[in-house]
Amino acid sequence: MNLTDKHQRFYQVAIYICGFLLFMEWLRPLEIIADFNNVSVFFIYAAFCFFISFLQVNWVISVPLKLLGLIFIIDGLYMGERIFGSNWFTVIYDQIMYNIQVIQGQQWWQMTPMFRSLLFLILLWLMSYLLFYWFIVAKRMLIFILLTIIYVTVVDTFTIYDGKWAIIRTFTLSMISLGLSHFYKEMEKEEISFKQMSSSYIWFFPLIGMIILSTLIGYSSPKLTPQWPDPVPYLTSANPGAGSGKGGEGPVQKVGYGENDSRLGGGFIQDDTPVFQALANDEQYWRIESKDTYTGKGWEDTLDGETSALSADDLEFETFTNEVETEERTSFLNFTGEANFNKLVYPYGARSLDQFPNNTSLELHTNTGEIDTIRDGSMTQVEEYIVEYERPSFEYNELREAGGEDPENIREQYTQLPDNLPSRVENLASQIVEEDDNRYDKAKAVEAYFAANDFEYSTEDVEVPEDHEDYVDQFLFDTKLGYCDNFSTSMVVLLRSQDIPARWVKGFTGGEPTDESQSVQGEDLNVYEVTSGNAHSWVEVYFPEIGWVPFEPTQGFSNNTDFYLEVESDDDSDTTTDDESDDNSASDENDPSNPNQNAEEEETEGEDDTNAAGASNNNNQLPQWIAAGILVGLGVILYFSRFRLMAAYLERKLKKNQDRDTFERAYIFLLKVLENRDLKRDSNQTLRDYANKVDARYQTNDMRQLTTYYERLLYRNESDQKQMNKVTELWENLIKKTLS
Amino acid sequence: MSNQTFLYHPKISEVLRNINKVMIGKDEEALLSVVALLAKGHVLLEDVPGVGKTMLVRTLAKSLDCDFKRIQFTPDLLPSDVTGVSIYNPKTLEFEFRPGPILGNIVLADEINRTSPKTQSSLLEGMEETNITVDGEAVPLQRPFFVMATQNPIEYEGTYPLPEAQLDRFLLKLKMGYPTDKQEMEMLARTSGSHPIHEVEAVITRDELIELQHQVEEVYVDSTVHRYIVDLVTGTRKHEGVYLGVSPRGSIALMKAAKAYAFIKDRDYVLPDDVKFLAANVLSHRIILTSETKFEGTTAEDIVSDILSDIVVPVQRNVSE
Repeated sequence: MNLTDKHQRFYQVAIYICGFLLFMEWLRPLEIIADFNNVSVFFIYAAFCFFISFLQVNWVISVPLKLLGLIFIIDGLYMGERIFGSNWFTVIYDQIMYNIQVIQGQQWWQMTPMFRSLLFLILLWLMSYLLFYWFIVAKRMLIFILLTIIYVTVVDTFTIYDGKWAIIRTFTLSMISLGLSHFYKEMEKEEISFKQMSSSYIWFFPLIGMIILSTLIGYSSPKLTPQWPDPVPYLTSANPGAGSGKGGEGPVQKVGYGENDSRLGGGFIQDDTPVFQALANDEQYWRIESKDTYTGKGWEDTLDGETSALSADDLEFETFTNEVETEERTSFLNFTGEANFNKLVYPYGARSLDQFPNNTSLELHTNTGEIDTIRDGSMTQVEEYIVEYERPSFEYNELREAGGEDPENIREQYTQLPDNLPSRVENLASQIVEEDDNRYDKAKAVEAYFAANDFEYSTEDVEVPEDHEDYVDQFLFDTKLGYCDNFSTSMVVLLRSQDIPARWVKGFTGGEPTDESQSVQGEDLNVYEVTSGNAHSWVEVYFPEIGWVPFEPTQGFSNNTDFYLEVESDDDSDTTTDDESDDNSASDENDPSNPNQNAEEEETEGEDDTNAAGASNNNNQLPQWIAAGILVGLGVILYFSRFRLMAAYLERKLKKNQDRDTFERAYIFLLKVLENRDLKRDSNQTLRDYANKVDARYQTNDMRQLTTYYERLLYRNESDQKQMNKVTELWENLIKKTLS
Repeated sequence: MSNQTFLYHPKISEVLRNINKVMIGKDEEALLSVVALLAKGHVLLEDVPGVGKTMLVRTLAKSLDCDFKRIQFTPDLLPSDVTGVSIYNPKTLEFEFRPGPILGNIVLADEINRTSPKTQSSLLEGMEETNITVDGEAVPLQRPFFVMATQNPIEYEGTYPLPEAQLDRFLLKLKMGYPTDKQEMEMLARTSGSHPIHEVEAVITRDELIELQHQVEEVYVDSTVHRYIVDLVTGTRKHEGVYLGVSPRGSIALMKAAKAYAFIKDRDYVLPDDVKFLAANVLSHRIILTSETKFEGTTAEDIVSDILSDIVVPVQRNVSE
């Protein structure tokens, strides 16, 4: 390898590494915004492919190498069988056939993870080839760089991915690769041999210096705060197909029950897909789990806590003590195919399960009340079961007078708050409860606080807290707009700041009552339809000697728990039960009289919301402007690159079919480009005079030569096929000069 | 000259070199004269006396191996002095035709505006036809037949300006103009010894000239260029400063001249450049200006260049068709 090659190699390697790192910026967000678990594997494979592409070995070597890498990754990630064993091929074959069928049926969502990974790996493979072409062969990386920047900004705007550093990295890498390639191209154009550039690295330092300087200036200079409201809620509401998750994995999901609550916020859209049918006496909460650790952004659970096996005949799990009045009840739950949370859904006071499949075992997470349903060692969804339970009824006075100390472990676990919780949250809590002397009244005061202070229920335009913001703080003081997660989390945090043990509970509301009724074990039960949209979160507050009592802070929802007041003067000890909804109505003016119409309430809320959205149309127009701005921006980019695009197209065409029409088009296009480059041909100017002018500007003879050919074509009406190669060459020279 | 860079037809470049030996700084006039010669047209040289009009014609004629005749027009010249006359020969007892100067190949009609219209027309008619009629008999003109007429500008005393209709018969009108100081000094230096015209030798024979004229006719003119010519000519008819625009004969003249010019440039097709280059010389003497325009001091050449800057040069087929 001589000196020339070495220098040239250095530039190619440097540019190519920049290209690879830029491409990595595309992969980075995937871990956060999509359900990618092993991103590092893909990183490694991409690096591998890029490396092989760069070596420029014969495809006979490179293709099998890349294929082998691909197979090893697929094997390592998904395959239990011994690699290249007979079973191995069978599994691969089955997978591929299945997925091809799925694709033919256009049921994209049913593709298996393995197949999706396979496709993605192939994409990486292709990209490694493409980027090699762009960066090394064609030395045209601007489009890719622009796309990368757009990608990063879009991902930053529309997902929880924080693109702050990504954009800085992208900028730096872009500038380096553009600078290098420009230098490289310049050397080629001027035909300077790399050999003459013995100290060619010196110029590198000002480039790096300038890039560092501009990056630092850009980083440290003051920036405007966001000038528009977050466009995400608007866009998601405009497109019902793309919802944001309530309790889902990040904000890009539809409403429904999900496990990951580590980042709450963002709007979502209603989804009326039935999840299960519940046969019950009346509407009640369907509990799944509680969470104990508030992070400032959402909830984490401490699943690594103890687990214990449960028997279906005796669910040894209680949220309240024996002191509480109960009533024996039976419910029948029948899950649809949509249900896939693999957990037991149970009412308060669940005692035992009937008609529960024998081969399924139950595992209770004692901390959270989460009961996994496990069959053959893996989580499974039970289709139907009957649950016998004792519906609790809490007595007001007992709650008010509940005394005694909280157990140490409960106080420790359920009064946890993040260290950086803004102090104004605690101040607000003190303010809310200052007139109340017992835990129940305090809890009720907090529960009532939201309705009394114009907090709005909405599933749209709900903000996701920024890095420095606290989810609860944002809701309580800034947005005052949200759905159950906002209300319930806020209530828990407010209570905890007053040292009242409270936890955040997830499950479903009672669902929509249907007109039907069915008999189960001799009881006539109402049929409730529970949909994804009934996924809900609420609050449990701990009362010593009583246990955890549910509270419902969310606007427009009523507490399905029974509360009653024991009237002392009564002759007998009979109790009057009193539905809590009435209790709640004081704080909720919108609450309809029928307490069992949760779904309807939600709908009403939804409509109110639409109206509200209509009234605040001005806010909603801004995202439209942003969208329009993006479109205009794209249009501008296209407009400014139109000559290059057209030039590339014509160049290809001219090389392919050298006919006079193409030449005429190419020549006229050249005139247009020249006109755009401030070399306008006056309409009374002949081509020859114009060619002289052009050649004078570019100090060539090419335009005159090309014009002679064109004149011959136009004014002699004949074209010389033999000369077309020369014509193409002249045209290319000129186009390059004018576009550079 | 703007298009000096392009090669000339080899024969023509010899002629032009000859003229260049005698005339200083008159390349364009020489070139235009050859254009007219090859296009089978005639030239009207208009300028004050003493700027080399006659010298140009003489040099040109000497470069061609052709019969050169000269008519000095005076107020008392008669038509028969131009065409020739039949004289009774007592020996043969017959009228014998004595050909006039018009029956040469190259005819210099000096100071054509100093003679009476009657005599003028005897020449001008001959320019348009291939025959002249003498004593009721048609006498064929020589081939090639090329008239270069000179005239003093019409504002000078004692002249009979050519009627506009007659002017139409000249393919080109040239103005000689004064030489620059430098050119004039060089001219003095050259003429101090023997006159350079004596060194000029014929480079083209008569037959060669006829052949060249024939080849000029073969030069291709695309409809794109036809369009341009028609646009220009129509432009003169629409121009507000023009009383009477260029006739269709003018269009043909422009095309013929352009063909000859393209041929001289060693090209077998006409470019708009050729048309543009010749337009002023071909068109300006075919335009009659309104009196207002004349009083404003605008010349026909100004009008033509005005039109040239207005008319779009066709550079695309779909635009022109």
